Amino acid sequence: MLGLFGSLNLGTRALQTQQLGVEVAGQNLANINNPAYARQKVALQTAPTLPTLIGPLGTGVEAIAIRQIRNAILDSQILNELGVGGYWNAQQSALQTGQAILGEQVDRQAQGLNKSSAVDQAGTVTGLAAELTGLFNAFRAVAAQPASLPERQVLVHQAQSLATRFNQIAGRLDDLTSQLNQSLQTDVTNVNQLLADIARLNDQIVNAELPLGGIANDLRDTRQQKLEELAKLLPVQTTLAPNGTVTVSLQGVTLVSDRNVLEQIETYDPGNGRLLLRTTGSATPLDPGSGSLAGTIQVRDGALAALRTDLDTLAAALITEVNNLHRTGYSLDGQTGTDFFTGTDARTIAVQPDLLADPARVQASNQPGAPGNNTIALALAELADQPIAALNNRTFSESYSQTVANLGLALRTANSQIADHQQVLNLLQGQRESISGVSLDEEMTDLVRFQKAYEASARFITTIDELLDTVLSLKR
Amino acid sequence: MRVTSNTFPETLIQQLQLLSTRQNRLQTQTATGQRIQNPEDDPAAIQRILGLHTETAAARQYRANLDNLSERANVAFDALKALKKISDRAGELATLADDTRSDQELQTYATEVTQLIQQAVQILNQKHRGAYLFAGTRTDQPPFALTTDPDGRVTAVTYQGNAEVAAAPIDTGLNLAIDIPGANNTGTGPRGLVSDSRTGADFFAHLIDLQNRLLTGDTQGIANTVRPALLRDEEHLLTHIGNQSALIARIQTASDLAGKRILSLDQAVSREADADLAETLVRLNQVQTAYQAALQSGATILRLSLLDYLR
Repeated sequence: MLGLFGSLNLGTRALQTQQLGVEVAGQNLANINNPAYARQKVALQTAPTLPTLIGPLGTGVEAIAIRQIRNAILDSQILNELGVGGYWNAQQSALQTGQAILGEQVDRQAQGLNKSSAVDQAGTVTGLAAELTGLFNAFRAVAAQPASLPERQVLVHQAQSLATRFNQIAGRLDDLTSQLNQSLQTDVTNVNQLLADIARLNDQIVNAELPLGGIANDLRDTRQQKLEELAKLLPVQTTLAPNGTVTVSLQGVTLVSDRNVLEQIETYDPGNGRLLLRTTGSATPLDPGSGSLAGTIQVRDGALAALRTDLDTLAAALITEVNNLHRTGYSLDGQTGTDFFTGTDARTIAVQPDLLADPARVQASNQPGAPGNNTIALALAELADQPIAALNNRTFSESYSQTVANLGLALRTANSQIADHQQVLNLLQGQRESISGVSLDEEMTDLVRFQKAYEASARFITTIDELLDTVLSLKR
Repeated sequence: MRVTSNTFPETLIQQLQLLSTRQNRLQTQTATGQRIQNPEDDPAAIQRILGLHTETAAARQYRANLDNLSERANVAFDALKALKKISDRAGELATLADDTRSDQELQTYATEVTQLIQQAVQILNQKHRGAYLFAGTRTDQPPFALTTDPDGRVTAVTYQGNAEVAAAPIDTGLNLAIDIPGANNTGTGPRGLVSDSRTGADFFAHLIDLQNRLLTGDTQGIANTVRPALLRDEEHLLTHIGNQSALIARIQTASDLAGKRILSLDQAVSREADADLAETLVRLNQVQTAYQAALQSGATILRLSLLDYLR
């Protein structure tokens, strides 16, 4: 027998336990919109029983733990998937910028410019392709009327427009590369900050959990959030140590262990201006393979670098081929030996200033004193349809459209990868939400449940009180 | 599956975002009438469109070149017709100048021949758009120079142009030369207009000969030498006129072909790039309906909770 006072204690414990239930429900409700939060549950257990002659006698209820409902496997799957997302998102945004820089768009409604100028433009495509075609059309127009100044005027301006377009695209791509370098540096700063945060949280978790036992749920939630932020940037591996700390490593290098950051990440210039990553304790470059840092490096040194090289090759081939022919020709005033283009690549290509100043100096004839001779102009016009060795035996237009298609393909791949990734991430997050998310209905029901139990326990105490009164009144 | 309070809003946001993206894409397609705009939309199609565009632009330029050539060929044809009239009159005069004519009459004929030579030089020295028509490729100077004696009689007409003609590009790998050099006595290349060593034509020399023989009253010489020579010149000229008519017809055909080609290339681009408007609009309608349904059902579900029923 517990006795009346023992029962009073049982009632008190019950009251405390139900109150804890209400408090946890309140905590859950308060954090319903906190994305890092995993719902908590009070674990109840019957209090130790007392052995009696008629069998063990219960002493009520006690709360043994406030547990977090989390699935560690799902958490680690989400970490991986966030890395994939970071990788492709970094590529997508850089490639979209690249596509905008290239400016190749189909605009079929821009037609109708037929016969508006000496050189005919189709007006369905904007960008370098149209300028390139425009240049060869201008050569064709000069070939048809070699002595005519207006055609030559159009030619040099069309060539200038093409050269400017090359310069602009190359300049903007170079700017994009340096922006990507800057974003690498910013991301690396964030990585190091997150590593420091995780080490600090490890420390706090140990401090909170060791003296009293139990689990520091809310600190662990915050740490998980930091780990997820880190996973978007770098594909780190995490292992949970028995003392509650998490060990963070990257490709076998331990970055955070126990309460300390062992290695940080830093950027360095291997000599070509394209920043790479390494840990502070090692000179070997890191190749993370996933995460936005890897995505940025991959897109900068992959698709965008290829685009930049292709443009340089195209510009160089154009300069060489046009100059080789033009140099042998004669201008309207009998001069010869002048180059048509100056410069060596996409960034430096320009029309010879003399020609811009005086289009009569375009060398369209192959003999002096024959203004009606169009041999050179004709050969220049025919360059449009000739396979060029420097461009893998493709014509200028074919080579450029291949370049555009390559960029489009890279962006399309990134788009579809992101769509896939989003599906997987949504699924995983849905699963996690289903396990760890707070349900308003459940919590409200719990609230009612604990409230009613509290009321019942209070009534129990009142009953015991009345019993005590009865006992005390016996002696009156 | 356990559904929590945030499951609904999260799912709703995802669905609305997906539907908004689709609406945006379909709306752009409807507004532009195009299935693709950027390389990412369909890289292979963009590559083909760029190729087709290059071909279209080139075809348009070829057509513009043909328009130019046609204009020049017509101007040259008019000149040839005018030259033919001069040749006809010279032949008449050579026939009229027989023994029955007085010296006075012959002198008058001679003056007319002088005038005819000057007129012919004037016709052959005409410019079109700033370039001499019959100077070969030396288009910056008059092809024929006239030399006269103090009495105003023509002593010589010299050709200052060359025997070379420029061919203009009218299609991929196809160039067309339409010009006629004023004279070509090199024995190769295009036929000269008034003088060519291969046919023996030398219109000006024969006209000057006629003028001189009329002045000296050598009617016998005119009948025996000049008349046959002028006949050969006329035949030579007729050949040129025939060629030029054929050339003009050819330019016209090529221009029509280029027009048709531009049209078919445009249709090819249309097949690659254009959206099927009916299909796009139907799909846009579907997506809009789904969007409205998602909003409405979402709003209803989000409003409800157990709180509404607890007191």
